[in-house]
Amino acid sequence: MTAAPTAGGIPAGVWPAYLDCLQDADEYAAVEVAVGLLEAGVPAERVLLDLVAPAQAEVGERWARNEWSVAQEHAATHISERVVAAVAGYANPRPTRGRVVVACMDGEWHALPPRLVAEVLRLRGWQVTFLGASVPAPHLVSYLHRHDAHAVALACALPMRLPHAHRMIEACRRVDVPVVVGGRGFGVDGRWARRLGVAWASGAPSAADLIADERALRRVPPAELSHLADDEYTSLLKRRGELIDGALAELRERDPGTRDYTPSQLDSTVSDLGYIVDFLAAALYVDDGALFTEFVDWLVEILTSRGVPAATVGSTLEHYGRVLRDFPRATRFLGAARSSVVAAGGVRPR
Amino acid sequence: MRRLVVVRLSTRSGAQLVTAADVRDSDPGDGRISAPRAARATAWTAGAPARQTPSLPALAADREHAAPDWSEVVEHFREGLVVCDARGVVRHVSPVAERLLPEVAPGELLAAAGIAALADGAEFTHHGRRLRARRVPLSAARCCWYVEDVTESVTRADALLAERARSAFLAVVGEKLGNPLHPDRAAAAVVRLAVPTLAEVAVLVLAPRSGRARWWRAARSDDDAPVVDSGVLPAVDLPAAIVEGLDGVEPHTLDWLVEQAVEAGWLPGLTAAESCARVVPLPGRDAPAGVLLTARRVDRWYDEADVELVRAFAARAGAALTTALLYRDQAEVADTLQASLVPVEPAEATGVQWGTAYRPAQAGLRIGGDFYGSHRLVDGGSVFFLGDVSGKGVEAAVFTGQLRQCLQALHRVESQPGRLLKLLNDALLETSQAQGQGRFATMVLGVVRAHREGGLTLTMAGGGHLPPLVLRGSGEVEPVPLSGMLVGVVPDPRIGEVTVRLEPGETCLLYSDGVTEARGGRRGNEQFGTERLVHAVGGCQRMPAPALAERVEQVTCDWLAHGDHDDIAVLALRATGPVERTPRHLHAVPDATGAAELRGTRP
Repeated sequence: MTAAPTAGGIPAGVWPAYLDCLQDADEYAAVEVAVGLLEAGVPAERVLLDLVAPAQAEVGERWARNEWSVAQEHAATHISERVVAAVAGYANPRPTRGRVVVACMDGEWHALPPRLVAEVLRLRGWQVTFLGASVPAPHLVSYLHRHDAHAVALACALPMRLPHAHRMIEACRRVDVPVVVGGRGFGVDGRWARRLGVAWASGAPSAADLIADERALRRVPPAELSHLADDEYTSLLKRRGELIDGALAELRERDPGTRDYTPSQLDSTVSDLGYIVDFLAAALYVDDGALFTEFVDWLVEILTSRGVPAATVGSTLEHYGRVLRDFPRATRFLGAARSSVVAAGGVRPR
Repeated sequence: MRRLVVVRLSTRSGAQLVTAADVRDSDPGDGRISAPRAARATAWTAGAPARQTPSLPALAADREHAAPDWSEVVEHFREGLVVCDARGVVRHVSPVAERLLPEVAPGELLAAAGIAALADGAEFTHHGRRLRARRVPLSAARCCWYVEDVTESVTRADALLAERARSAFLAVVGEKLGNPLHPDRAAAAVVRLAVPTLAEVAVLVLAPRSGRARWWRAARSDDDAPVVDSGVLPAVDLPAAIVEGLDGVEPHTLDWLVEQAVEAGWLPGLTAAESCARVVPLPGRDAPAGVLLTARRVDRWYDEADVELVRAFAARAGAALTTALLYRDQAEVADTLQASLVPVEPAEATGVQWGTAYRPAQAGLRIGGDFYGSHRLVDGGSVFFLGDVSGKGVEAAVFTGQLRQCLQALHRVESQPGRLLKLLNDALLETSQAQGQGRFATMVLGVVRAHREGGLTLTMAGGGHLPPLVLRGSGEVEPVPLSGMLVGVVPDPRIGEVTVRLEPGETCLLYSDGVTEARGGRRGNEQFGTERLVHAVGGCQRMPAPALAERVEQVTCDWLAHGDHDDIAVLALRATGPVERTPRHLHAVPDATGAAELRGTRP
């Protein structure tokens, strides 16, 4: 760390050093890198957004490419959290504005992005309560009953959780607290947030700007969910178990090798089959086939990087398509995703 | 034209015609000919063939028979008739038209009457009556004006619409204020809802507490959302009308109040001369919870119906505020009690990195029947424990509190885990026998001591709880052979004891049955089981203890997939050892040592 920081930015050498700390799960070294930047005069917000956030994104990439195990990813995330705590402690801003509650949706464990939002809000003078990962809706609501909040910021990283996210948003609305949401779960451009009728922020700074503008927070067009009247979403959920069983039986039929799976291989196959159903359900919920196709493309990429052929996903989609032939929207979404898998079939895995 | 409307409506909606269009179109207004209307309605609804145009019979056909005198018949139309010739000169004015348009005189130009608003299809006010006119061309370039008095039907339709608007408003109010809110939210919601339906500016003053009154105000803005602000006033500065309202009286003379309020800057955008105001008390439990001042321009004077609406709104607002206060008070009590029963994070101990996770079965409640904790011993070691009491919810949580208090006291006299657990057993047995409530617990209780050369020794006693797991440096997971009987059931239980050595980086994991008995999987009824837990932590030897505990919580919750679950508790102890630097409090301002220098010392 001999190079002086460029104006407001992160010097070039710091980045690989910091990633090494994450790789080695060395909490104290990582904290020292961040604190060193602060001491050299880099603003806390820049350390959070230009060092911690992109490093965490890189951690996700490495997991997706199967370079890092889940355990390594978890350890690195834990270290990032400690770094955030250290940066927040170093800056130690004094709250001058109202209370903002930040939380992850129920079932959502990607706590670092909302944690960064929480700290950026704190740096901008808000009194922030961070409720952490996977916050159950009743817990959040009872918190809002006890402590008046200017706004609630909710994070959702996986579109699969959108139906739950919607319930949570509604719960906050019922206690008359404005909600702003963020995270990749709402689409890169926030289009599924608009579908659910909720204010969306693309990142921590824009979340902070939105929260500062109460009238903008309250001025949200209503949800567009009239398509739910066809009951495809609820009917699909009811048939979840049946669909997974059927897909598994069909997989064993087609590929005898899968019959010799270890219990944990079987578990991950079952959970992948379940994710396909859950993402399809979420796509039906917001009526956007692109949600499902994006997920299937991603899944194919993940599976091929772990040696599972793309054709497996394709035939599972076919199986679901056969079972769900009475579901016009689901049939359409499955068809679109299948064509995408076929198109990707010729591409060699990375 | 009018008939046509009725036909269409009756065929669409059956016999009952209840729309506003019907009220406006079928009522004669002046009540002169109500019988024909009833007869006509019967005829149409009986399914008589509907003629699409009200064409008159051909005049030429039966002239020599008893032909009606059409001019006589026409006199009794509800519409007034004015017939003009090709030049626009009035040739005929029916008696009804004479009454409605007295300026129109036969033999003069119609334009000369000076009724500017008279146009085909126009509805206009003339001599205080609401008139609707239409122009029909006749033969030889003549034309006939049909003029109808719709004053009363319009009034009734307006009244109906206004009534509907009031109901819709109160429905929205009920929906918004029907949920228990935080008291401050409820107050802000009350003023926000009052604008613009009830007021241009609405001010809510809460009943003063210790001589100070909190207020909220909403003012109409160009935007659709009103501007809300709030503050505090000394109770002695409140205007008399507000004080009266706080005593539960609805003040009647309000002119003085408007002036006072405008002068004091309470009503932005309104002037004293052009404003009117109402003050209503918001009913509370015994005395009013507060008063609502609504003000708007005099051109929207508060009539009887408006005042009724303000009162109905005030009743709902008062209920919402009262509920909010009650709820807040109870939540505060519950919160305080809960806080004393939530597991306390383990105390920092040399050589140990703690990791915990806790997820009670009832999410709204932050407490449950699982517990964990630690106490430091004078010799530098620590007692640690994790367990689960019988039952769920508040009662179970209260029992965990008793149990933790027992341990808090007992660890001072006995620090050998097996003997300490026996002492605890006797104490619990005595309490539960005295109270006649057969409560019991399962738990693992241990003592951890750090070695100077790194690593930890854990001596653990088992009270019928799931045996802990040890995550070795190789990434393998070993179950700890630990058995024993339930705590608090029999006087001299069999208690197992085991000693485990952890090298630096190795972790011991204690967990409750909420983890292994979590039901999920394909059908949502399969238990998570120890196998899956072992698989989930296997290979995680480099994870810090908090990350490992969270990982166990996460895989369990993923397995549950939003299903119901039992209380979940996890306690992880990781041996830090000399290879890792001693923990530094991360919130403290770091010393002046440069980061570059320190990085060089990194192993």
